[in-house]
Amino acid sequence: MKDFMNEKVVPKVMAFINTKAIQALKDGLLYSMPMMIVGAVFLLIANFPIPAFTEWLAEVGVTPVLNQAYNSTFGIMSMIASVGIAFTYVQNEGYKGLPAGVISLCCYLILQPQSLTLADGSAVNAIQGTWTGGQGMVGALGMGLIVGWIYSIFMKKDITIKMPAGVPEGVSQAFVALIPGAVIIIGVTILYAVVNLGLHSTPMEWIYSVIQAPLQGMTDSVGGVIGMGLMVPFLWFFGVHGSTIIGGIMSPMLASNTAANQAILDAGKELTLANGGHIVTQQFFDQFMTVTGAGLTIGLVLYMFAFSKSAQLRQIGKIGIAPAFFNINEPVLFGVPVVLNPMLAVPFILMPVLSGLIEYFAIYTGICPMYGGVVLPWTCPPIISGLLIGGVRTAILQFLILVLSFFVYLPFVRMVDRTYVKQEQEAQNQE
Amino acid sequence: MLTIRLFCNEGMSTSLLVEEMKKAAAAEGTEVDIRAYPINDLDDKAKGIDCALLGPQVGYLKAKASKTCQQLGVPMDVIPMQDYGMCNGKNVLAFAKKLAGK
Repeated sequence: MKDFMNEKVVPKVMAFINTKAIQALKDGLLYSMPMMIVGAVFLLIANFPIPAFTEWLAEVGVTPVLNQAYNSTFGIMSMIASVGIAFTYVQNEGYKGLPAGVISLCCYLILQPQSLTLADGSAVNAIQGTWTGGQGMVGALGMGLIVGWIYSIFMKKDITIKMPAGVPEGVSQAFVALIPGAVIIIGVTILYAVVNLGLHSTPMEWIYSVIQAPLQGMTDSVGGVIGMGLMVPFLWFFGVHGSTIIGGIMSPMLASNTAANQAILDAGKELTLANGGHIVTQQFFDQFMTVTGAGLTIGLVLYMFAFSKSAQLRQIGKIGIAPAFFNINEPVLFGVPVVLNPMLAVPFILMPVLSGLIEYFAIYTGICPMYGGVVLPWTCPPIISGLLIGGVRTAILQFLILVLSFFVYLPFVRMVDRTYVKQEQEAQNQE
Repeated sequence: MLTIRLFCNEGMSTSLLVEEMKKAAAAEGTEVDIRAYPINDLDDKAKGIDCALLGPQVGYLKAKASKTCQQLGVPMDVIPMQDYGMCNGKNVLAFAKKLAGK
């Protein structure tokens, strides 16, 4: 079984993960994430859970200031992604990435509506927050990958403007992007013309309604929760960093759902299912499905730390307990190990699904609130993170999930413990 | 002086191991310079070092990493899973020394 997995399944999973597109997608999005988290701090202050404080902020006029910062960070997540993905793609191909990132940004802007009709009937030219934020995400990703791909072809075939010898390196570098840039921008402009003149729409609006909205809906469903819940530990079971890979692939949809929820709040409406709120968001994934590390291994760690009789497990429990509260569990996954260990596969793969389903149900029934735009670094400790994203109820639910993890892992870790104690005794007897 | 760089996903979990390796080196009296970085910085941070070690969770990037390291003339390998998990600084240091040929 182990050999079959190592020889047949893992290479196939790896081949998919190592495709240039997936690599660029996952690493390119890493440029949006920090800015979303920074922006969320401003949002958190503007919407602090003490009404007296937020009213005072509005009164002295600080709220718009906070929103300015928020709109220019969290609010342009897909704009940043459009640069980051083309940049990463081209960089991975071994060329300078920034020229491609800039071309991708221009193309992404060409795709979207820029004419806005004001209340008095006059039209202004404006880049709109709707599209720079969550709703432009798939367009940004697609554009980033296509630009990265085409730009790399130009570089590989060396189709660039050649400067005569003697021209400084910096100067000739500045002209490298000219030919690929011109070709790509003309192509995207033609695409815009076709959609605009033919369909009286923009490519971005079309991509949103035909591709992105359905994908967001699929993510935001029981099936989506089960799928993500299974895939993260499944990849980790083979020693592959499942959280980064699945998180990376799903983040565009999860972040778009988060942004859509915040847009509902910004419009002055209540964040509910009826108003189109999304249950499964970035916070849903970070703070419930990978909390204390992939597989929600906190229960395993606590048992090893406090109750295990095997010296090896106790040692790993000691090493693993502090990182666990920052949602890091590599020492545990590789030390016990959980990786390729059939004895722990069941709770490891089951626990995230269980947690996800419980949380989904809690939000669906209104027991716990939906999440707005407050996103946290994934290393934020549980219970504190719950308090910040959703309030007291969310924190309590997180606590209950941690307790549940202990009991789900209990029968399995006991079995592992007994086996290890036996092995350790045998090893001692032999000495 | 033995210069070792460890590469993992974000350079976070591996920093635990780095501390243990430094302790092990101090106990042996070996002079070392050990740091952890995200795997994405491999091109940059692997220049001119004695050996590069990959965390097992990014072992799936071994093929690409070994190409990069070959170009730089730096020996590279993936840290054995259990030594990584147990934060066994002594074993990983020995592993690195062998790899670096020192």
